[in-house]
Parts: sequence; structure tokens; C-alpha cells
Amino acid sequence: MAYGRLGRRTWMAAAGVLAAGLWGCSRPVPPAPVTEVRAVQVAALPSTPEDAQWGSGEAFRAPLILQDMVEPRKMVAGATEVTVRALTDGKSIAFRLEWADATEDSVRDAARFTDACAVQLPSNSGPDTPAPQMGEPGRPVEIAFWTATAQAFIDGRPDDLKSLHPNANIDHYPFEAPGLEKTPGKAEEMAKQYAPAKSLGNIVSPSPKKSVQDLMADGPGTMRPAPSQSSTGLGRRTGAGWAVVITRPLPSGLAPGGTSLVAFAVWNGSDGDVGGRKMRTVWIPLTLTGAKKP
Amino acid sequence: MPRVYNWQLGREMSYWYPEVRAKKQFGAIFDVNKCIACQTCTLACKTTWTSGKGQESMLWNNVESKPYGFYPLGWDVKLLDMLGAQDWKGKTYQGKTIFESAPAGERVLGWRPDSRDYAYPNVGEDDCAGDITKGAHMTLPHMNWFFYLARICNHCTYPGCLAACPRGSIYKRPEDGIVLVDQGKCRGYQECVKACPYKKVFFNPMTGTSEKCIGCYPKQEQGLAPQCFSNCIGKIRMAGSISKPDQMREDNPIDYLIHVKKIALPLFPQFGLEPNVYYVPPLHAPAAFLTQIFGPGVEEATKAYLNAPNDPDLMGLLALFGSTEQIIPRFRRVGGEMLGLDEDGTELIRVPIQEPKYIRMAVDAARGVLLTNVP
Ligand code: SF4
Ligand code: SF4
Ligand code: SF4
Repeated sequence: MAYGRLGRRTWMAAAGVLAAGLWGCSRPVPPAPVTEVRAVQVAALPSTPEDAQWGSGEAFRAPLILQDMVEPRKMVAGATEVTVRALTDGKSIAFRLEWADATEDSVRDAARFTDACAVQLPSNSGPDTPAPQMGEPGRPVEIAFWTATAQAFIDGRPDDLKSLHPNANIDHYPFEAPGLEKTPGKAEEMAKQYAPAKSLGNIVSPSPKKSVQDLMADGPGTMRPAPSQSSTGLGRRTGAGWAVVITRPLPSGLAPGGTSLVAFAVWNGSDGDVGGRKMRTVWIPLTLTGAKKP
Repeated sequence: MPRVYNWQLGREMSYWYPEVRAKKQFGAIFDVNKCIACQTCTLACKTTWTSGKGQESMLWNNVESKPYGFYPLGWDVKLLDMLGAQDWKGKTYQGKTIFESAPAGERVLGWRPDSRDYAYPNVGEDDCAGDITKGAHMTLPHMNWFFYLARICNHCTYPGCLAACPRGSIYKRPEDGIVLVDQGKCRGYQECVKACPYKKVFFNPMTGTSEKCIGCYPKQEQGLAPQCFSNCIGKIRMAGSISKPDQMREDNPIDYLIHVKKIALPLFPQFGLEPNVYYVPPLHAPAAFLTQIFGPGVEEATKAYLNAPNDPDLMGLLALFGSTEQIIPRFRRVGGEMLGLDEDGTELIRVPIQEPKYIRMAVDAARGVLLTNVP
């Protein structure tokens, strides 16, 4: 693929040519196309996608392409673009992603997948850019991953079988046997034995408090939880799809006035999108407004 | 894709990873003729491992009536249909495996059942069309027969589940070949569910991960047979280890029955996974059906099985099935008895090859009473 470390330089060059061409024009010209994600500095970051502050930033319409590098792949293209806005308060950066998706898929079950989106940044904002497809060995990327399933739990859907299958009839769980409540913690300990992923603290097991997972990767198939789970998010259905805010701390080395790269991905659950079956962008230049610290 | 050797197909095939065999491979034999569909095995597994939230319709062990029973619904016929008609030439498979017929963008040919497909685990139980006196009520491709097929994960030599996981969350233990999903690493993509032709990986919507039969490894590590084996009422199961044909050991019960006596066959060998649970085919089902599901060795297996009364080694080994909770790695026949031995030759169990017969007169003359056989 051509979207390797060269991608960034190509983007910068394109932006330069455009700027030169417009210099010195006296008549009013149409606004220059937006070629980067500009994170505008604000005093306090909004937490909802409806917040009026989002109007202060320019929208970047990022074309989406199929993940086409590793099997299993998505073969038929889904959403064609994601509209991105960004704001920063100097410590964190918030992205607002909006894309078209006719169906709300927030249930995960056998053969049912969740809608989702993700923001990817290089761990190191320096010139040594990792490959945009999940980074590469020695050049890791950081990913903040929002899912509609986690959002649904936060919005109040109970985390039980009845919420998936209202008519399901469950006779008995051994950890709900009468009498267990007499020993504090006994029932929970027993329930854990039948839920190994939860016992191991796997972050895909529902956590009702957070809709965003912090992940890192250094190549396809290497994604793992990041040491700190500090990103937050909120997603809402729009008329035509989703609008999602993902807020994460600025990666190390990135500050107001600085630049880096950013990439996005979206998943449509009812299309069977999951893991590498997704629509993604190439690296996009990211600029933080504001004065550089001396 | 790397080329690997699959002895069940009698040829090399393509697989996602190079050939790496376990030091010792967990293997088992189920004698279909003895299964009574009591589902004790199903419950033994269920109560031990899958009584949690999100595991309600998950049966790592299940027993279905063939030809009309399926769990999940249509698991085998759907894939057979996708694969299309394929051929064997003698014992060499001429057709394509699920790895060789993977469509563009996929690692394996497969499909994903949805929650309704798991909702009727005992569909088709005892279904057998045909009314003995008045003729059949309807005409179906399979008349007047059925058999019980007990199924667990095959801990395949070339697991479809493992090949399909893009994250490498599934691994095969080098010491015993047991295939496990790492519950800390799995992200619930369900690629394994799609890829396993036997549908023996299940998605748990409450943990968000895929879960599967663990071969009761905590028991096996202590030399004990898995729960669904040691609790089997019909004593149809024997657990042990299986070697490649060229490395087989004649005193290993599993090797002997599979490689020497050839009485047990893999389930759908044509899918290409080299599954490690073997079946003694049922005697009364049509050979064409049995060949489709067990491959080309059916006739030979049936012949050997029927000859068991004249074959004391075979008889003795069949008598060892379910005789002890311990795994029997070696055997030795001593006259009319079959000995199950530990790796070092220590005796674990001793069974008579022929159960002793006691003949009792119908009348107890001394007491002047009739004797009955009410248990
Ligand atoms: S316990 Fe044994 S006999 Fe009963 S259904 Fe299971 S395999 Fe068959
Ligand atoms: S039977 Fe299925 S789950 Fe078990 S090892 Fe084979 S492919 Fe994997
Ligand atoms: S081997 Fe153990 S885990 Fe696997 S089906 Fe049997 S009882 Fe269940």
C-alpha cells in the first residue's frame, strides 16, 4: 500500500501547493478545501456531540476505504466517509465523528455485531510515522475505540440475557442458589468461575462506566489494552447514522501548536463488521491550534 | 499458505500455519453403537463448565440424533452444501478442504449460526420416519434408521478456529494438543465460530468472548478422563492420545484401535482439520450416509467391529471403555483379561474379556419357589 510513512509528506506537499496557488488573489475565492484535522483550542471540552462548541472547528470529511491488508476482510464497501471535528483544551483532545449508518446495532450476540468507531494516533508524534494499518513493530499506535454496545449499557440496558432475548427462560444459575447470600462475596466468586474473561479483567467484558476502550498495537493482530484506560466517549444516533465524541489525553510529545497524524475507522454491525472487517481512513495530518510552548 | 500433511486425507493440504504437531495429541474414541442418548455427558459438562450467564444455550458436549438432529441447526449440512460434492479416490481425498476453498477475504470457508440456531439443541431426537406395520407416513431420504452422535471439540491437528483468529487468541497446547481460547486475549470477533466446521466454539454475549470445550485439561493433567467421558452411562468413550500412523504404538489403546484395527473413524475428515475424536460407525445406518460423514473407511471398520467376538484383543479393549476414570495409555491382554496400564506399566484396571456367566434354574427346588429376574 502507498499509505505508509510517505503519506504524511504527500499530504503536506499537497497543502503547500494549494496555499501557493491562492496567494495574491484579489477576488473572493471559495474557501480552500480542508486538508487536515485542526483541533481548535477551547477552554473546556464538550462531552456531547450536540454541544455548540463543535461549530468552532472546521469539519474534515475523511474518505473511508476498505481494510484490504489482512484476512479476514470486509469485501463490500460500507460508509464512504466520516466527518471529523476536533477540539483541544491543551491537555486532552476531543474528536467528533459523524457517519452514515441506517441501522442501530448495539447488541452483540451470536452472529450479531456492534456499530463502532475508532481514533488512531501514533504513540510518538515525531517524524518516524508508523504504518496506518495498526502500526508496525517498534512504531506503535494508540487507539481509542467506542462501541454502541458499551454505550447501550451506559444508557441503561441491563447486562443480562433477558435484555437480548426477552422470552428466554432461565431455570437456575448455581451462583444464585438460595443461601449463598449468607456468605458475603460467595455468589460473586462462584459467578466468576463461569465467566473466565471477566475474571481475567478482559476489557471487552462489559464495563458499565465507559464506552471507550484504550488500546495499542504495533501491527495487525497485535492490539491489546493500553496501560491506562483514560479515554471517554459518548455516542448518539443522528437521523442518518451516528455522532460520537471520543476524548483522550494528548499523546506524549503533542501539545498546542504541534502536529501529528490521525486515522479513523468505522464498523457497521449489521454488515458483519468486526475486527479487521471495517472501513478505515489513511493517515490524516492533525494540527493543534494555539501557541507552541517555548 | 504453507503445505502440511493430513494423514486422514492421504495427502498434503494448505493450512494457514506450518505443520506443528503436539508432543502428545489428545485423542478419543466414541462407540456410536453403545450410546443411549441419555445426555449424562451433556449435563456433566454443563454443570462443570458452562452454567454461567451467557452460556445458557452453550453445550460443549451435545448428543444429536442423526440424520435429522443438529446442534446448532444444520451445522453439517450447511457446510457440506457450501463445499459442494467432493470425491475420494480410495483413501486419498480428491476434493477441497475448508482451507483450500476459502473465498476471497477469508481464511476458511465457514458460516455463523445465529442465536435461533442454538435454540433447539435436541431437535430431531429419535426422528426416524417409518411405521412398521402400516408403512411410512411420509417419504424421506433416510428411512427407518437413526443413531446418536455424541460430539465435543475435536481438538483438531489443524484447527479451523485457530487458523481463523486474526489475533492469535487461540492456541494449541504443545504438551497435549488441547485447543484453547485465551479468555484474556479474545475480543469476541467470532471468526472462530464461523470457521469451526463442527461449531464447537460459541460466542458468549455476556462476557463478549468466544468459549469452547477445554478438554477438561485440569483433569487430563492429573491423568483423568474428561467429565463427559467418566460420566458416560453407556461407557461408549475412551480418552487417550493418538499418534501419526507412522509413529503409532501398538500398546496404546487409541493407536491400536484406530491404526491397527481401523475400527474408528474421524468425523468429516474431508473438511481437512484432522479431528482427533474418532467414531466406531453404527452398524445399522446406510453405508452411503456413513461414508459421507466418516470418510472411506466405513466398510472396513464395520467388518472389524463385527468380528470382535473372534478377536480377544479387540473385545478386551472395548471392555476397557468406561471401566475407570483414569486415562489408560497402555494395555496388555493376559489370557481372558484385559489390563489397562499406566505409562510405566503399573496396572490401573483389569477387566474380564467375557463377563462371567451364571446359570440359575427357574425353580429353586430346595425352597420350592420360582425364581424371577426382577432386578
Ligand atoms: S453419556 Fe454416554 S451414553 Fe449417554 S448420551 Fe452421552 S455418550 Fe451417549
Ligand atoms: S473442533 Fe472446532 S473448535 Fe475444536 S479444535 Fe477443531 S476447529 Fe477448533
Ligand atoms: S472434554 Fe470436558 S470441557 Fe470438553 S465437552 Fe467434555 S466435559 Fe466438556
